[in-house]
Amino acid sequence: MTRLSGQNLLLRGYVVLVFVFVFTPIVTSFVFSVNSDRFPTIPLGHFTTHWYETIFADPDIWEAFRVSALVSVSVATLATFIGFCTAYTDYRYNFTGKALYLSLALLPPTIPLVIMGLAMLALLARINMSGQIHSIVVSHVVLCAPFAMAVVRMRLAQINPDLEPAAWNLGASPWRAMREVIIPFCRPAIASAFCLTAAVSFDEFAVAWFVSGLNKTVPVMILEILQGNTDPQINAIGSIVFAISMSLVVIAQLIFFRKASAPTTTGI
Amino acid sequence: MPNTSEARPLVSFEGVTKHYGTVAAVHAMDLDIYAGEFLALMGPSGCGKTTSLRMLAGLEEPTEGEIRLDGKRINEIDSADRDTPMVWQSLALFPFLSVRQNVEFGLKMRKIPSGDRQQRAMEWLERLEIADLAERDISQLSGGQRQRVALARSLVTEPRILLLDEPLSALDANLVVKMQGVLSRLQKELGITFVYVTHSQSEAFAMSDRVVIMSQGRIEQIGSPKTIYRNPTSRFVADFVGSNNIFCGTVSKEGATLQVNTSVGCFSCSPDNDENSFPMGSTLNMVISSDLVQISLTTPEAANQVRCRFISEEFVGSIVTVFAELENGADFKVQVRQRDLADLGLKAGAVFYASWKATDVHLISESA
Amino acid sequence: MPIVIWQLVFFVFPLIFLVVMSFWLVINYRMVPGWDTVNWTKMYSKGYFWDTYWRTLAYAMIATITTTILAFPCSFALAFKVSATLRRWALFFLIVPFFTSYLVRIYSWQIFLNDNGIFNRMFDYLGLGPFHLLNNFFGTLVGYLTLCLPLAVVLQLISLANVDRNLIEAAHNLGCGRLKTVFLVIVPMAKIGIILGAVFTFILSFGDFVSPYYLGGSKPPTLSILIIDTTKSGQQWPRAAVVAVTMIITLLTIMFASVSAAYRKKP
Repeated sequence: MTRLSGQNLLLRGYVVLVFVFVFTPIVTSFVFSVNSDRFPTIPLGHFTTHWYETIFADPDIWEAFRVSALVSVSVATLATFIGFCTAYTDYRYNFTGKALYLSLALLPPTIPLVIMGLAMLALLARINMSGQIHSIVVSHVVLCAPFAMAVVRMRLAQINPDLEPAAWNLGASPWRAMREVIIPFCRPAIASAFCLTAAVSFDEFAVAWFVSGLNKTVPVMILEILQGNTDPQINAIGSIVFAISMSLVVIAQLIFFRKASAPTTTGI
Repeated sequence: MPNTSEARPLVSFEGVTKHYGTVAAVHAMDLDIYAGEFLALMGPSGCGKTTSLRMLAGLEEPTEGEIRLDGKRINEIDSADRDTPMVWQSLALFPFLSVRQNVEFGLKMRKIPSGDRQQRAMEWLERLEIADLAERDISQLSGGQRQRVALARSLVTEPRILLLDEPLSALDANLVVKMQGVLSRLQKELGITFVYVTHSQSEAFAMSDRVVIMSQGRIEQIGSPKTIYRNPTSRFVADFVGSNNIFCGTVSKEGATLQVNTSVGCFSCSPDNDENSFPMGSTLNMVISSDLVQISLTTPEAANQVRCRFISEEFVGSIVTVFAELENGADFKVQVRQRDLADLGLKAGAVFYASWKATDVHLISESA
Repeated sequence: MPIVIWQLVFFVFPLIFLVVMSFWLVINYRMVPGWDTVNWTKMYSKGYFWDTYWRTLAYAMIATITTTILAFPCSFALAFKVSATLRRWALFFLIVPFFTSYLVRIYSWQIFLNDNGIFNRMFDYLGLGPFHLLNNFFGTLVGYLTLCLPLAVVLQLISLANVDRNLIEAAHNLGCGRLKTVFLVIVPMAKIGIILGAVFTFILSFGDFVSPYYLGGSKPPTLSILIIDTTKSGQQWPRAAVVAVTMIITLLTIMFASVSAAYRKKP
């Protein structure tokens, strides 16, 4: 068995290596956001909050954060609603063309963002809807709805399928049963879906870049800074974006796991 | 039947202990398994029977003690190099392989050329009467057919021992009986050792030569089905096996026929098959098998009798188990033929008398 | 059914419009609706286009193979060699990167990979280098891995964690060695997750423009960069649409082939 534990050690080392690879850029970005050097490399300069100060002093960046926040909240609301409806339809009904319906609902993430961006821009420009905040919202809802659908559908898979008929049997109308049984049961999933879609939208840059026009979101801003020169401001903005996205994800996880593990099925 | 007392055991467990953290799943187990016997390991869930089987298969390593196969220590030998094939409760058939490829798997691992492999696999499929399913997917088979594939897969390498871990527990009751027949016949034809783990008394007793009763990681009793059934050596076995009425009592008169004082009365006992002697005043468990009890509506002549009130009945085929209550509230059960019960016209709430012969009583000393 | 309408209007319709647009004309920097195959013939007759097409395909293939191979030992170890608690944490930490800005991570790699970057400074201390790590395919590949590796590990891990342990034991029990079991039992059982991971890696790296642009140096371009360049230069949207439609067809073909391979039973 000694040979085996040697192999295990090797495998564990490899896992650590993979995680180092995955997290190096994330940690690096944070480190250099508080590092004084204009051109980041080693050895490190001294600690500074200079880059944060410059971005907080920049009205363009405030505007970008405002647009991003507006977009992601709108997107999360719409995408979660659509995702819930899609998931419920899949859960409750069987109909001809369901496979087509599902592939329609789940396909968007498989189309490259550049192409989605181009297609959206072309269409929205044609109907004079491009370059506005709602053009970003519309495009992002298409991209995010499948994620919301997946989260809600996973929750619905855990529901006792007799629950809803039981509510009907006790005299609840279909709408009433949905409100009293399905929605309370799915509430954690709905909350998670909301946070996840908000986070996805908050980070998306390619489609937003194509359709945003003058209403730049934060990632579009980053993209444009990146096209210029090296600028440690990116690290500072990135760290803030990371903090926001992560809070959303952690909240989503906490809600999903805390409520999902609770035994109550109708608990409010 | 092999002569178990003289032959060298094929497998022996010597002081085998298995700990999971601080929990001992198997504790200081000593057991010899002989070539050609059908041995059942039986006990409630968590008694260590499956762990013992898995240690023999090489899927778990004992914490202490030795397991020997043919006299050689095999503790450290990988399952892959042991030739101790096992049939899983879940059957563990490979869903991505066809029936024939499943059966060929073990041969492939032994680097047997493809033509030979195929031929031997087909022979076994024919033997188990599923040759026509050879090219099917596992998902297309019924429960009984899967069972046969699992057996063929384990037997195709012609091992000397086959380990079975509750293989019939997922089957319908009627299929269980059929597969019991298949297993018994196979074992006799092949003359190899079967070690069969089960919690089902009927499976263990129907097929095996010897039964090992386990409880909490320890062996409680080893013996033929009949011995276990009629002469349980501990209160646990008497409770677990068969359908016994057990009363705790003290000896009030010594001799060939003892008098035993219990909470439900004083009874005379002259067990003819017990080696134990019970001195005056010692406490013991009096075991009365429910199938050795006679019932009547009037006071019987027999010395050992109790007055019962009929509570409920349970049918298993032509045999009925009557659940009754004694005068002091203790439970008492009786197995009678359905006809006999009908003749007496007994119904719930009725009062009847139960009696048994002094020689049919089995005694277990309290310490056991 | 409002959902269907939404998806039709804002997902299917734009893509159909893309196809339609590829037949339009550009006259005096303005698009004119029409039904002309000139964009297709022009694009398809350019050696430059086909060079880019095959390059992008090759990049994506290499990224897919590399990612799948690099991900497997990691997901294998997480599925079989660690406790369930550790596995849950690992899964959580593998999902984290999806919510960090991909752009920022790519920018971080620039800090490491450029000629005066962290890696070359380290090599310098060791008396090695400098190595050109940026603005070539190596840089691009690092970017692709950044994007795809966590996803591939997650998908493989989910599949591997669901492999019935009894099957692995059964294989051992029937005489199959440990390494052999990995290939004969575990890989076939986790086939769907492995293929799914590979397909997503292919989709992401085939369509990604950030890595080839900012780490690969944008020259020679990939198809995504070609789309952006074509769009930005003089309203040549119809030609960009030709590239986009070609990409979608390629992706759908690959996806269809892989998914049917994933769910096909062995003969």
